[in-house]
Amino acid sequence: MSPFTNADWNALVPVAVVAVAALVVLIADLISRTNADRYLSIAIGVIGCAVGAFLAAQQYGHDYNAFFGGFMTGGFTTVFEEIVLLAAAGSLILYGSIGPAPRVAGTTALLLWSACGAMLMAGAANLMTIFLGLELLSLALYCLCGMVDRKTARESALKYLILSSTASGFMLFGMALIFGASGSVMLADFVSPALASNPLFAMGAGMFFVGIAFKLSLVPFHTWTPDVYEGAPLPVTAFMSVATKAATIAVLARFIYAALPSSIGGALLLPIWILAGISMIAGNVGMLAQHDLKRLIAYSGIAQVGYILTALAGGTPLGLRYAIYYLTAYAFMNLGAFAVAAALSTEDEQGSRLVNYRGLGRRRPFLAAAMTFFLLAMAGLPPTAGFLGKILILSTGVSSGFVWLAALLIAGTAISLYAYAKVVRAMYERGEHRTHDAHPFVPLAWASAAICVAVVLVMTFYPLTPSNILPLVK
Amino acid sequence: MLVLITILLPIVVGALLWLLPREDRVLSRAIGTLVAGVTFVTTVLANNQGQEWSYRWLSRPFESAFHFGTTPVSYWICLLLALCTMSAIAVTHVPRTRNFTVQMLFLEGAMMGLFLSRDLLTFALFWDLMLLPVFFGLIGWASHPATAWRYFIYNFAGGLTLLLATAAFGVIFGSTDVIGRADVHLAGAWAPWIFAGFCFAFLVKTPVWPLHTWMPLTYSDTPPPMIAVVAAVQSKAGLYGLIAIAVAFMPQYVHQYAPVLMILGAISLIYGALIALVQQDAKRIVAYSSLSHLGLIVIAIASQNQLALEGALVYIIAHGLFSAALFLLLGYVEQREETRSLLRLGGLGRANPKLAGALCIAALAALGLPGLAGFVGEIVILIGVYQTGAVWATIVALVAIVLAAAYVLRLYQDIMNGPEVEDVPVRRDLTWLEGLAVAPLLAALVVLGIQPHALMEAVRVAVH
Repeated sequence: MSPFTNADWNALVPVAVVAVAALVVLIADLISRTNADRYLSIAIGVIGCAVGAFLAAQQYGHDYNAFFGGFMTGGFTTVFEEIVLLAAAGSLILYGSIGPAPRVAGTTALLLWSACGAMLMAGAANLMTIFLGLELLSLALYCLCGMVDRKTARESALKYLILSSTASGFMLFGMALIFGASGSVMLADFVSPALASNPLFAMGAGMFFVGIAFKLSLVPFHTWTPDVYEGAPLPVTAFMSVATKAATIAVLARFIYAALPSSIGGALLLPIWILAGISMIAGNVGMLAQHDLKRLIAYSGIAQVGYILTALAGGTPLGLRYAIYYLTAYAFMNLGAFAVAAALSTEDEQGSRLVNYRGLGRRRPFLAAAMTFFLLAMAGLPPTAGFLGKILILSTGVSSGFVWLAALLIAGTAISLYAYAKVVRAMYERGEHRTHDAHPFVPLAWASAAICVAVVLVMTFYPLTPSNILPLVK
Repeated sequence: MLVLITILLPIVVGALLWLLPREDRVLSRAIGTLVAGVTFVTTVLANNQGQEWSYRWLSRPFESAFHFGTTPVSYWICLLLALCTMSAIAVTHVPRTRNFTVQMLFLEGAMMGLFLSRDLLTFALFWDLMLLPVFFGLIGWASHPATAWRYFIYNFAGGLTLLLATAAFGVIFGSTDVIGRADVHLAGAWAPWIFAGFCFAFLVKTPVWPLHTWMPLTYSDTPPPMIAVVAAVQSKAGLYGLIAIAVAFMPQYVHQYAPVLMILGAISLIYGALIALVQQDAKRIVAYSSLSHLGLIVIAIASQNQLALEGALVYIIAHGLFSAALFLLLGYVEQREETRSLLRLGGLGRANPKLAGALCIAALAALGLPGLAGFVGEIVILIGVYQTGAVWATIVALVAIVLAAAYVLRLYQDIMNGPEVEDVPVRRDLTWLEGLAVAPLLAALVVLGIQPHALMEAVRVAVH
């Protein structure tokens, strides 16, 4: 007899639905004769995400420690699961918009499984579940990066595999030390004051954070990011840029809020905040030299993670809410930018080279306007959620005493504007341009870009932040 | 509700105008002028009925609301803005008329939002928002893209410190819904930093030496009608911020740092005037003269003297009127002669009496001729600053006024008098539409010069 109750299994239902949807995709692909019918796979995948999101929403507010505390449900988990599923569905839609991609069914299935891993991380409350989720997320991503027949894609997959595995190794080693110090894998057990003076625990936590920093691509563990983003297929990059970050931030947040002994929490976490501060500057400076949208977004993502961590730095409940607010806004800004890029991609090229954007304002005024909007949102200009997100983060930074991080955020933002404005200028500058556009009209990409614009706009004026996310601390 | 319409109408119609064909000239200009006219009317009405509009935005970590309403100070600046925008759109002769009209309307709405904000956070929001139309205007117009960058980066950096200061203000005070409230005074360990953050933004925008280097490029490279609005009104956003935020909430720090502000103002005053004296580019002369004139206002605000502040507000309006008129008229000149270099202009006065007359009034207002609004502002500021005992500042200001006479007269002289330059493409006096656009600005200069009491009365109420 299983020691687990029905409620335990129910906690995993949203994850299971997504995983099953992946299987359905594969079976449907086997049955369907016409290999060309890629929309079927994508449709099943999106529906799976939608159902999973609906079921996850049902768990909002119902806190439950499933599997003896291995997986928690409740507000916190739900919010992160929703972000992950949003990214997955959005990326799948983008898959439908770029030219005929090979092996759509396999890609869809892998993407869904990767999302499962991220969802597990969102609810993970012990070290084993964290690692399980992380590896599920990453293993699928390694394959996804190499799913197109391009040299850069293979290179990207290999690079990601090697470096990310190293990071996982660090993390696992850290977990082992933590286990050695505490005798437990449950996050909730780490709060005990006895651990505060245990150097083994500090070392373990430090190595754990190295792994986290790697997955978040904080400087100086960021070097894989631009290359991997550039090489991977566009929808995979879109998914990776949001889901990996969301899942890792969920783990980090749970660790900060639930697991760290309060007496040493500040000292242990200081290196993370310092890395976040460096990332804000280095990421934004790195953006300046880029000639490829995906690399640009990779560097911008490095900086944006620094912003999000600034909100977490104080360890206040409000900070967590604002981190989630900004993360959600970031998800939509990023997906939107990728949607525009997808609308501009053709079979053999991915629409991510900045040269393609020259004169876009003339050829495709609405796409150019949408892209401008997303870039300005990332830079934090009004009236976008990026603006409000920054002010909220700044205010938590100031009120929790991390003014230096807030100041670095300001400095980083000022630098970033230069890079974003470079793209905007390229789109609107005068001169000789191709007057007509070879790209076909791609309704899906246009629709997703429009939805992202609307959400980023509305979030500015209705800054809903989830209020029921903190039961995890108990 | 009326204030909300004043802000949103230009923005919304501006966005809709974008649906017109790009080549369209007539319709977009007509609609733009109409909207600017309606906005002018709603601006007037909004004050008469003491309109306010508020909607809660944030409750945590500090209270914030979309709270708009007129104050006596902002009312006059909004009128100036509505008037200038109307004049600027009505007589547009720029390529890409539709884009230009969209940008102008957006700029008007954003600046209306800025001056009508009663909340620091919405103030900061519109502060950043009003950079966008000018940025896109510069991208489409400037001879060199670096101009657009420089404008945007400088002002956005200011906007960011404004944002950080606003966040800190909100956290410490618990609310940002404070503009126009008399009971708010910020002190404590963080207050000087908050003050510094606000001041940096305001001084960049004004601009004040040494933060002015974006200004000459921007002023000479923006479409002339747009720069009329930017120079006349957008530069006042910094001064308005100094009055409505720095002086209102942190008077002790204004007092403490008054010598610094005064010295920066005085340097701008002399530096701007001296450079204006040697420029050959007509628009740059006016640009540097702006630097000089605005330096005088900074001195007045830093002095915190009642009379000087009243003078500052009068001069804000007066400077807006005459600089808008100057830029518009120089735009006409440039459009006709296809140059704005004083070396290649001359003798226009004989063939274009109306243009010469209009430029003459604007120029005389700029040099502070008694009877025109500029004089009232200058003299009141001088008396006020003198009262505070800052005699050196008064002397510096007097020197600058003498220099102003020199460069303004040189500008007029070189363009309108002297031997006529050969091979001029078009010789055409002001059209009735162009005349109609500039006339209200000049009329207001005269009316406020002879009868400044209404303005000063309103200001007196506000400053108390």
